[in-house]
Amino acid sequence: MRWGMVVDLRRCVGCQTCTIACKQEHALPAGTQWRFVADCEVGEYPDVRRVFLPMQCMHCAEPPCVPVCPTGASRQREDGIVWVEYGACVGCGYCAVSCPYHARHLVHDAAGYFDRPTPSEAASARPERHDVMTKCTFCKERVDRGRQEGLVPGVDAAATPMCAVACIGGAIAFGDLDDPASPVSVLVAAGRAAPLMPECGTRPSVYYIVE
Amino acid sequence: MASERIPVYCYQCVAGPDLLKVVVEDGVAVGVEPNDDVAAEHPAGGKVCVRAYGLVQKLYNPARIRTPMKRTNPRKGRGDDPGWAPISWDEALDLLAGRLTRIREAGLVDESGYPRLAVTFGSGGIAPAYLGTMAAFLAAWGPVDQGIGSGQGVKCYHSEHLYGEFWHRAFTVAADTPRCELVLSFGYNGDASGGVTGVWRHAEARVRGLQWVQLEPHQSVTAAGATEWVPIRPKTDAAVLFALLHVILHERDWRAVCDVDFLTRMTASPYLVGPGGYYLRDPETRAPLVWDLDRGRALPFDDPRCTRPALEGGYIAAGVEVGADGAARTVADRVRPAFALLREHVRRYSPEWAAGVADVPAATIRRLAAAYLEHARVGATIEIDGVRYPHRPVAVLLGKTVTNGWGGYECCWARTVLAALVGALEVPGGILGTTVRLNRPAQNRLDAVRPGPDGFMEQPLNATARDRWQGAPHVRNAYRTLVPLADDSPWSAALGPAHLPWLFMDDTPAQWPAPTVPDVWIIYRTNPAISNWDTGRVERMLERFPFIAAFAYTQDETNWYADLLLPEATDLESLQLYRVGGTKYIEQYWRHTGWAIRQPVVAPPNDTRDLTDIATELAARVGLLDRYLEAINRGAGTTVPLKGPDWDVTFPAATSGPPTSEDIWDRVCRAATRSLTAGAVEHDLAWFRRHGAFFVPFPETRYYLHGAMVARGLRYELPYQERIMRVGAELAARLRERGITWWDAQLDEYQPLPGWRDFPAIWRGTASAAGRTPAEFPFWLLTSRSMQYSWGSNVSLPILADVARNVRGHFGVMLNRGVARGLGIAEGDLVEIASPTGRTRGRAILREGVRPDVAVALQQFGHWATPFARELGMPSLNEVASMDLALTDATGSGADLVPVAIRRM
Repeated sequence: MRWGMVVDLRRCVGCQTCTIACKQEHALPAGTQWRFVADCEVGEYPDVRRVFLPMQCMHCAEPPCVPVCPTGASRQREDGIVWVEYGACVGCGYCAVSCPYHARHLVHDAAGYFDRPTPSEAASARPERHDVMTKCTFCKERVDRGRQEGLVPGVDAAATPMCAVACIGGAIAFGDLDDPASPVSVLVAAGRAAPLMPECGTRPSVYYIVE
Repeated sequence: MASERIPVYCYQCVAGPDLLKVVVEDGVAVGVEPNDDVAAEHPAGGKVCVRAYGLVQKLYNPARIRTPMKRTNPRKGRGDDPGWAPISWDEALDLLAGRLTRIREAGLVDESGYPRLAVTFGSGGIAPAYLGTMAAFLAAWGPVDQGIGSGQGVKCYHSEHLYGEFWHRAFTVAADTPRCELVLSFGYNGDASGGVTGVWRHAEARVRGLQWVQLEPHQSVTAAGATEWVPIRPKTDAAVLFALLHVILHERDWRAVCDVDFLTRMTASPYLVGPGGYYLRDPETRAPLVWDLDRGRALPFDDPRCTRPALEGGYIAAGVEVGADGAARTVADRVRPAFALLREHVRRYSPEWAAGVADVPAATIRRLAAAYLEHARVGATIEIDGVRYPHRPVAVLLGKTVTNGWGGYECCWARTVLAALVGALEVPGGILGTTVRLNRPAQNRLDAVRPGPDGFMEQPLNATARDRWQGAPHVRNAYRTLVPLADDSPWSAALGPAHLPWLFMDDTPAQWPAPTVPDVWIIYRTNPAISNWDTGRVERMLERFPFIAAFAYTQDETNWYADLLLPEATDLESLQLYRVGGTKYIEQYWRHTGWAIRQPVVAPPNDTRDLTDIATELAARVGLLDRYLEAINRGAGTTVPLKGPDWDVTFPAATSGPPTSEDIWDRVCRAATRSLTAGAVEHDLAWFRRHGAFFVPFPETRYYLHGAMVARGLRYELPYQERIMRVGAELAARLRERGITWWDAQLDEYQPLPGWRDFPAIWRGTASAAGRTPAEFPFWLLTSRSMQYSWGSNVSLPILADVARNVRGHFGVMLNRGVARGLGIAEGDLVEIASPTGRTRGRAILREGVRPDVAVALQQFGHWATPFARELGMPSLNEVASMDLALTDATGSGADLVPVAIRRM
């Protein structure tokens, strides 16, 4: 089993609903985004294209962030999810330097948006994330909890990463890349989905459909 | 941990409402999520957009107004602290009710004939979803001026609203995206403004292969998904639209490529036009005549003997022309079908001509025209729910600034004629209306199709006949007096020239009743000191308002001038049942219709009150409780009467006292469900609190006006605008009889076949009027929609800014990279944007996808009082835009378009 994602760029409008839904799901502090949609331009006026490109941890099959971690806090599960054991992280930042996708976020100060935490911020606070490296987890808690309840990640919303659940363009598919029948495998097998910067050799689990 | 998910609706943008659930843990709202329960009914699977995820922060924002407050500093000015003093709700309501009572004692209308009470609701089209029963209070009150603008109306799709309803019951116009193959979008930015359902439809269509050509001066969010971007010069869209008509009607064999049957049977193309410009009519019945080629004579358009009406040529025929004020003129002369006049009219608009005007290559225009004809599939049909329709999968869409201000009429007309030429009007694949706001019934636009004069739909217009024209304005924007097309529905005040009150209070035109400031002005979810043009002028006027009661979320630039702040119970704190489903703007096309609830999700964190309770309390304190409850019984504001053929949950005449909000909405819930089911199903408030929404099926055949038009044997009032011409002539006569000449330029717009004028020059003229030269202002400053902010009343939420920063344009001014380099401007430099009348400033954001002569500032910012927003440093078009009669078109709107100079600071 290897969890993966296929992002159909034809459907993405850069609305940042996935960005804010992720922030809410993980109670991310002000200024921290585990995922975001980049607003890019290709070409020069007047031959120019505007492209929206969702960016996040690619949950690489060969993640460079894992072996460089001096404490073993940066880990990879058997199902491919790359994550951080916060209790073991010292916030050295080696993993962030090694990541070609700039997908790791060192949170020194879990600042709220205002002078004092709002009730919702207080209720959602994650103090274990202070001064440690954080990143997209593929919403592993949702995935694990959902599977325990017999749900299918990528099919049932309660077992699917929040970005995919929230996306209003239906641009984000999630599923098991090792299951040839899963929606993500079908899209990858069709040859229309490709990873970003494959030359880095990390074998990302996030694929993109461009045209 | 106690966790629950509470269903509510989100109507933060006019493209809603959409449905969501709020996650509440141990009594604290911690998040929102899509409402999976309605995934089968909601056209976008029950999802909500980025704005909805800001609602929890909106609820707990510490910068909120937390309790009622009254002004202690009598001096009003930007530099004068209001000196807010907290007061109790009882004192606050006493204060407001006292002012209202004094109005009733003095008379509801002042010496100039204007209502002493004025009310302004913002976020055009959204406010009713948050008003509770305030509309019932206003209905009980009597005359209220709801026409003091906040930018709504005049800055919207104004010409599309008015002419769209006139031509095809289309307050807004959408493509039938799921069945469309080609969209020519002139600035339509639906991926930012079309809401969840718009984004969903577009995404599905792009994957399917929809071709989308985006013609606009900068690459909007929507251009990112387009197959082609055409960087057109601002405000020249009409030139390209006219050239498309020219190519079809003069460079192609129109008989082969157009839907001749549609033109003949479904439009006024065959109607004969006399030498005076009016239809040639049967002398007895006054029915318009057509030329029957088989009989070689003129016959009434509805004469069954007429077998082959002529669309071209010229014929000698006799009849009468009926002009302004019923003036009949007997004619025996050469007359021509309207279609022939259309062809002659567009002969001058060649692609080469348009290329010079719009900076769009002639070859591109010809290619787009060819693609339009190819994809129109004239002759094709499609079956939907057992009904066979023409299938014309092409659409021309228009965006803001294209559809409003000078040139808006011309663009809307040309677009609709383009649809008519290939029969792509109100059929699958073509362009469709969404909703009606001027016609009734409001719930379904197909039911608003009623036979009117000359074989067209009935369309209520404000009277222009000598004996019926309302020469004395009843509200300060004078929509009944000046804008016949604005009609007189509950929405009309907001669709009149809503900036005129600001203009005329300051500078009264000749022969016009002296504009007065209202004795009491109540404002809700609006901030005209930011959202109007010429914001400094608006603020100077606000200093003169004697009493402003503001429902306030935070301190802002308008309520800075208020006398009373009433803390707003926000989206997740108040109770309301609202209609959902059917067809609605911007692209809400459901297969269900029904009702959804908005309800408090937690105990209110501040000293707020539900707006329904406030309305009830005000009604009681000013002695209007009985009339208020009668209004609720009628369905005022709630849109469902409490008594129908199969139900009666009305409040009795002699009620025991003011009802609670829960009592009122419980009755509305029960009436609403009964009304949808012929009395068969009744759900109460408790049921809605648990389930969120109730639906019944809504057939897809109700999307298409075509069926209703065919069933009633009606034609679209296209291409020739005889009625518009007559109405304009009558209005001109009325105004001249009063000695009014300051509306003359607007009267010129009432043309039967709209033509090109140098529209950009109208805005360039602001330089000369200010004693400057147009050459000093070589750039155009434009606005563009931000999905994160449009209509949301959410500029004070930092979480929105956090994510909005990822989208280029937040928070600065977008410039063409090459041009900026020439001006010595680098990314992030502070630049000044100066117009002939004002200045604003912001950080430079350099892009390739911007025309060299254009600068773009998103949305409407320029805040100086609103918490957090005032720190964004966002430039505002409204600070440099003139509020000017010369920039006001005949429908009473303008456009976000300013000639500016740009320099690095």
